[in-house]
Amino acid sequence: MADATQALTIEGLAKVYDDGTVGLEGLDLEVPAGEFFGLLGPNGAGKTTLINSVCNLIRTSGGRISVFGFAHDSMAARRLVGVAEQDPNLDRFLTVRESLVYHGGYFGMSDADSNRRADEMIDVFDLRAKADVRTAKLSGGMKRRLLLARALLHEPLLVILDEPTAGVDIELRHDLWNYIRLLHRQGTTILLTTHYLEEAESLCEDIALISAGRIIARDTPAGLKRRYDATTLEEVYLQTVSTSLPAVMAAEEEQR
Amino acid sequence: MSTADRTAVIAAAPPAYAAPDPARSMRALVLRECRRVTRLWKQTILAPVISSALFILVFGLSLGNRIKSIDGFDYDVFIVPGLIAMAMAQAAFSNNSSSLLQARNDRYINDVLASPMQPWRMNLGYMFGGVFRSLVIGIALVAIALPLTGVPIERPVHLLVAVLLLVVLFAALGVVVGIYSENWDHHSFINNLIILPLTFLGGVFYSISILPSPWQELSHANPIFYMVDAVRYGFLGSSDVSAGLAFGFTALVAVAMVAWAQWLFQTGRRLKP
Repeated sequence: MADATQALTIEGLAKVYDDGTVGLEGLDLEVPAGEFFGLLGPNGAGKTTLINSVCNLIRTSGGRISVFGFAHDSMAARRLVGVAEQDPNLDRFLTVRESLVYHGGYFGMSDADSNRRADEMIDVFDLRAKADVRTAKLSGGMKRRLLLARALLHEPLLVILDEPTAGVDIELRHDLWNYIRLLHRQGTTILLTTHYLEEAESLCEDIALISAGRIIARDTPAGLKRRYDATTLEEVYLQTVSTSLPAVMAAEEEQR
Repeated sequence: MSTADRTAVIAAAPPAYAAPDPARSMRALVLRECRRVTRLWKQTILAPVISSALFILVFGLSLGNRIKSIDGFDYDVFIVPGLIAMAMAQAAFSNNSSSLLQARNDRYINDVLASPMQPWRMNLGYMFGGVFRSLVIGIALVAIALPLTGVPIERPVHLLVAVLLLVVLFAALGVVVGIYSENWDHHSFINNLIILPLTFLGGVFYSISILPSPWQELSHANPIFYMVDAVRYGFLGSSDVSAGLAFGFTALVAVAMVAWAQWLFQTGRRLKP
């Protein structure tokens, strides 16, 4: 049954990898439709495991995920989600244009729609000069652009961006956020993970902090700062989820 | 479109969102797999056609004069069905195992795994690349062998069925190995140390009826012997074992391989952590 109010509903999500590593431990999360949502946490906290669970890229160990009311593994839910993964995973045998057109095909789009959207995305992400170049020959920045173009090609209503600006130059970062803001204004739900806290603070309406496979805090950026008596999101982050050396030393000092 | 409008669209669950065309999904994957074959045509088509044609020339035309006829056929005619079957089987297998392994290594398989495509369509889509490549090679080899050796096609319908069973079997095996392989060594191990020796020992170059005991009996334990025999029956109209046994066994193994590949896509085992 479709649900127009919640883009993502996660209940008791658990993931234990084959080697016994616990990725997620009974995680609950709701992301309202149309929200720009940030997911912050240190490396290994479970951000990518959570994203891969939503996108059917890992086998979950327990819990329930629904996308706009559809079970996440249903064909309807899959059509509604677009993901740009953290590391470029482009088909080396295809050109830029082919990568986009075949992606449209995988998502059930007609040839005409796939080609039309491929042209649009090529222009939006300034890939025109490289349209007929094979993806293996692209620079890192160009690969990142194509990754984002591919994620948005089938016009998903829930866009998941896993560290989209990692290693990206300022120009692309600027263009990307302008386009993502536009999509968000048009009603697309955005789920963003990033290590750039200032980006999260300026873009996200709501932020969840994740640590050791659990959501440990969730609020608006202003609400989080109020709750933790902090002036910046970075301070909140360091107080809550950081496992950096200064934070660990501070915690040990407090215990003494 | 405003947020309210878009969420209203979702609530109504129109076909564009709720029911993406799954046939288009599989068609895109099939086209992608065929595109890979044609893009790498020198490696995927030309090389195996040349090497098999050399086998026909070297073994058939040069040694053929020194070897007596086998089962009533000239030696160069006798070996053609087995050589074509061997080339097609290897092409179907190695195409799919390397395509899947590459897609998993580079993780671009995620684009397919995340898409609204049913597991059985993924399975068939990936299998089709090997089937396509192997059929192109088979047709090219028939076109070369017919004028060179005059090999007959006594039972065209049987030949078509035998070839389809053979390529589906090895295409599915390629998918399975591509999913299980951790690196290129695993892929090469299966190809070079299992499939190739069993093919050579499966009666490609000789009739097992000329083998002494216990080699003749042992050859019956080689699954590839039945597949080669089924293809030879289609070409020459005669086979070492009954056609029913050859076709039945090949069909049985083909179904088992397709089912194994399907189970992997259905459960996500080895494909998803």
